[in-house]
Amino acid sequence: MILLGALILGLLAGLAGAALQGRPYQPLYPRHLWLIPAAFAPQLLVAYLPATRELLPYWLAAAVLPSSLLVFLVFAWVNRGVPGMPLLLAGLVLNLLVIAANGGWMPISPETASHLPGAGVLDAARLGTRFGQKDILLLTEDTRLAFLSDRFLLPSWFHYAVALSLGDILVAGGVFWLLARPARANPTTE
Amino acid sequence: MNKKLTELAIRGSRLDRSHVQLLVLILSLAMLVLGVGAPSDGGG
Repeated sequence: MILLGALILGLLAGLAGAALQGRPYQPLYPRHLWLIPAAFAPQLLVAYLPATRELLPYWLAAAVLPSSLLVFLVFAWVNRGVPGMPLLLAGLVLNLLVIAANGGWMPISPETASHLPGAGVLDAARLGTRFGQKDILLLTEDTRLAFLSDRFLLPSWFHYAVALSLGDILVAGGVFWLLARPARANPTTE
Repeated sequence: MNKKLTELAIRGSRLDRSHVQLLVLILSLAMLVLGVGAPSDGGG
């Protein structure tokens, strides 16, 4: 949800900027948009839809997440000339690296997870198990590339508890800039 | 009810190609950030 917030903020900033300039809002349209639903559909099944998430085997979900990220990588690379996309691409790569290094899941430590709603009792029995949609509960010392894991928490005054990775932060910045950038008279994707 | 549906149809017909393109872009980018990002907002 936090990343959708960045998208909405970027859209609002772009619309406001275009209105102030007296121009129509004209974001740059990436090429090969079809790659996005093609990459997202498997994740929808293994991570986002509760009905299928519980039915599909653990190993399948662990294989799907990095695989779909590779398809997203192709999309982002093809559109690397679109402003904001290099930042998003960097975030994607960082997330892909840490997910691939940790068995196909984004690691989160019990200390970080304990700040999130619905965490329950985070005892040793839950280590190595799935947490949330795409995360796995791992001790920091057992996490590969721990500095890229979901380790950043929003300040408490945000009233929304979420753990972010460095990659997530870059993805949020990239999508914000993609939509917020000033309109141009002749937008292209090159 | 009929009047409201008619108004909706009229408003709907004012959607031009650029609006539809923007909607497709926003929906695509929403899937992109949900797919590429991996923030965690809770267990379960």
